[in-house]
Amino acid sequence: MAKTVQRMNRFVRRGILGALAGSAASTPLLFLTITRGAELAIVLVAGSIYSACVPPTRGAYADNIMAAASLGIPLWGITSILLLPLLSDNHMAMAAVDIQAQFAPLVGWILCGALLGAFLQSFSEVAETLYGAEAQPSSLPTTNLTRIVVLGGGFGGMKAAQCLEQELAGSVSISLVSDTNALLFTPMLAEVAGSSLEPSHISVPLRSTLRLTHFVRGRVTGVDLEKRVIVLDGAGATEPRRELPYDHVVFALGAVSNYLGLENVERMAFDFKTLLDAIRIRNHIIEMFERADRQTDPMIRRQLLTFVIAGGGFAGVELAGALNDFAHGIFPDYHNLNIEELCVTLVHSRDRILPELSETLATYALEKMKERGVVFRLGTRLVDAQPGLVTLSDGQIPAETLVWTAGTAPNPLIKTLDLATTPRGAIVVDSTLAVKNHAGAWALGDCAAVIDSETKKPCPPTAQFALREATTIARNISATLKGSHVRDFHFRSLGALCVVGHQTACAELTVPFVPGRSLRFSGLLAWLIWRGIYVAKLPGLERKIRVLIAWTLELFFPRDIIQTIDLGGKDIHPWRS
Amino acid sequence: MAKLIVASQVVLVGIAGGLLQASVLHSPLLSGALLGAGFSLVFSLVFSKRASSAGAGLIWGLSAALLFWFLLLATSMLKLGTHDSATMLDHARGRFQQLAAYLVCMGTPVGLALGVLGGSLQDESRPRFHRSRAIVAGGLAGIASGLIFGHWMWQGGFFPLIAGLSGFHSQAMQVALQFCVAFLIGATFGLLFQRDIRGYGSCMGWGLGYTICCWFGGPLTLFPLAQRMPLNWSMDAAANLFGALVGFILYGLILGLVYATFDRAWVRLFIESDPINREPDGPGFRLFRSLEWGGLAGLAGGIVSSPFMFAAHVLTSVAGVDTHLSILTGLVVHLLVSTLIGMSYGVLFRDEASNLAMAGAWGWVFGLIWWYAGPLTLLPLILTGEIDWRVSAASALLPSLLGHLIYGACTGCLFYVFERTYTHKQMLDPRMSARELRRRRPIGTPAPALWFFAMGMGVVIPLLLA
Repeated sequence: MAKTVQRMNRFVRRGILGALAGSAASTPLLFLTITRGAELAIVLVAGSIYSACVPPTRGAYADNIMAAASLGIPLWGITSILLLPLLSDNHMAMAAVDIQAQFAPLVGWILCGALLGAFLQSFSEVAETLYGAEAQPSSLPTTNLTRIVVLGGGFGGMKAAQCLEQELAGSVSISLVSDTNALLFTPMLAEVAGSSLEPSHISVPLRSTLRLTHFVRGRVTGVDLEKRVIVLDGAGATEPRRELPYDHVVFALGAVSNYLGLENVERMAFDFKTLLDAIRIRNHIIEMFERADRQTDPMIRRQLLTFVIAGGGFAGVELAGALNDFAHGIFPDYHNLNIEELCVTLVHSRDRILPELSETLATYALEKMKERGVVFRLGTRLVDAQPGLVTLSDGQIPAETLVWTAGTAPNPLIKTLDLATTPRGAIVVDSTLAVKNHAGAWALGDCAAVIDSETKKPCPPTAQFALREATTIARNISATLKGSHVRDFHFRSLGALCVVGHQTACAELTVPFVPGRSLRFSGLLAWLIWRGIYVAKLPGLERKIRVLIAWTLELFFPRDIIQTIDLGGKDIHPWRS
Repeated sequence: MAKLIVASQVVLVGIAGGLLQASVLHSPLLSGALLGAGFSLVFSLVFSKRASSAGAGLIWGLSAALLFWFLLLATSMLKLGTHDSATMLDHARGRFQQLAAYLVCMGTPVGLALGVLGGSLQDESRPRFHRSRAIVAGGLAGIASGLIFGHWMWQGGFFPLIAGLSGFHSQAMQVALQFCVAFLIGATFGLLFQRDIRGYGSCMGWGLGYTICCWFGGPLTLFPLAQRMPLNWSMDAAANLFGALVGFILYGLILGLVYATFDRAWVRLFIESDPINREPDGPGFRLFRSLEWGGLAGLAGGIVSSPFMFAAHVLTSVAGVDTHLSILTGLVVHLLVSTLIGMSYGVLFRDEASNLAMAGAWGWVFGLIWWYAGPLTLLPLILTGEIDWRVSAASALLPSLLGHLIYGACTGCLFYVFERTYTHKQMLDPRMSARELRRRRPIGTPAPALWFFAMGMGVVIPLLLA
């Protein structure tokens, strides 16, 4: 008997105790109501349900007496006002006079409730004394969990970890490795370079966002696919090299700038991939203005105030627009400078910018930016860069500033791994995003060559595709662990948005359920759409509020020209002192 | 030994209370003293661990006195030897002055005494008490509530309740006195209940209970004494002051809501803003989820309660006013309003329930609050521009009270299910599980006493006085 009670499900045990307490507590009803079996049955059921809902606590007589007494009032209503009149007279006693006539049963139910609470508490304590505490639910195992490691803290990596948390929380161990501790919201990176937003506004801390994921800040130096181990670097004697075993690994390593073999350009140009790059670009713009302000030679001044951006894709165009607005905006603070000495030049190898958009919108963007003072050198390539001089295939531009956005390549770590890759260096994956010939390995985003399972076309390396790939991978890992069916990846792009200058943008949005059709917007409306969509997608309510406040302040106050201190690593551009 | 001393002191207070109630009710003093001694002895035995402060003791004392009255009422009903409902109801009405006596002379002083004397013996793991926060937040809440409510009080001519006692003829002085009293009520509210209140909803519940107690202590007791008139706790006197009761209840709800707002603002600005006390989440993180869950729960509550509202003829008339709405239109309006009110439940009562029974109980209190605030006050005001707080108006609305209680319970339980499903996953993170445990209302607070007192008084008084 004792063992039976000890092993009994805790809700069953509580229900039995509640029914016993209910039967003992029904005495007041015998005297204050016209006894019906239904009322007594309701007391038993109510007692069982109440007891099942309330975990037993030693000494809680007062709590149970009062709580159960208050339960008596609605029970009175359900029984004496609704159920019993309905059963006997086919209508509820809902008139005020009828309700008042049930006052005596109300007293009975209240006292019955109080007794129920008292008896339940004493029965629970007796049961605990005789048979021990009720059986507790088995807790989730904390050892021998399946280990899932996500490499990369960008859009794809973070989304994969979030989806894995939702699908498998508590039943697996999830780790995320990233060399930065925050997700960078890259669509707004140009806003930081152009001093519209602060760096922290577009970064979301990974530790705070991923509640059930073990975050590891570190740089991956190798992956042993046979032993299933991730190798992380150490930072000196205090931080040793570390190995992270895995059962499933998700490669979300992203891409790096591809300088196409131009070593001088790689040494001279600013990158535009990280937050530090955006901060450096902004600081450098201000530095050039400060130097130009005290420079007496007009040729050198012009050289200092010429900013060259290589690459006419989204990143290059948005950066050119942001830098152009920023440079023009801070001009009034520099009294010795002539506006005609300022020149923002965008160099692009093709005949039109923004190949991802339609020709109409690309032409609109070009014209608008020209109106605002941006100079375009189309159909020409960057071939070399020297201190103070940028060499194109058809000429030269004297300039102290060069920003490279003209090409990307998958993370070079992938080349060191024994994985099938494309000539470009992206990991080859099948339609379910699993790495071929390596069970438990998955890849997404810029570092993977993803083919859409329906269109059979390569998926572009954009954030919206990376997010959907991450969701698919999480579901497929979950399906693999549960032994169910994995899904192929398919996603139809929602569209593209590009800001080209102050309150001016281009937007091309796909029409739902109508393949091949899209809606095009330009100008202020597109700019509002751009801001609305991206602030909605920015993770975290706090970040949204900060960005909205910053954008509102920008309407009334000029942009900041304070140079922030760059505490980053060694200076890779020796000619900038 | 210390506990024994406290218990004996409480019994002395009980005896004094018993003598007082016996003298008011013109019953034998010896039986009154014995009654008081018995009540206070049982009270200190059963409730000593729970009466951890003056406010907790007060609520436990009031609820114990109410339960005691029901017990004696049942005993006397049995002695009648009849099951005739009208006779039993008249008998209960005749005992109304006993109810007032037990609450004022025994429940209140005994509860306060045990709370004050016994509270000092409690362990220090209780929440920390901030006196300045209680007085400032409570006083401001009292004044703000007085401002909000003053317009109605002025329209209803209730100012003379307090201002008429002072003998001031100037309206400005009367208003000033009213606000001084409002400050006092708010400050005492904060001092008594700061430790017990966790959220907006529970604060409104405590306001409801506190002002019901104030109605017994104020218009029924102190005001006649201040006017050198004999105490009259009869049912007729109470029925004449029913409008004041509803006014007190609404004032208590507003007081609770405003106090919670000021108190939360104080905590946010001066305590939680300290980096040492930083929580993993910001304040707005769960607001939208609470609105969503509350809306869904309210809709379900509206669906479940609609048959009862239909049977009570509420769907085609609103607050007793025939609106000529068709049943279908009335149902749609009812469900829409239920959803919106459910969203308010989500915001006001989140984190109050740690099990389904508590969720149901808070839901009943919520339903009761909306019965007083909605059909009895706001709806007549919106539809006719006038408030009718007479007993007859409340009597006409009694059928919808049950529907409101059922709606509230259903909303509360379903909201708890949604909330628990979400927090269950959060609990896997040790940072969040610690935060969730801090947020939840623990066992041992006077919440069960509040449920019983608020529900009991909120339902019984309209029944008896109508």
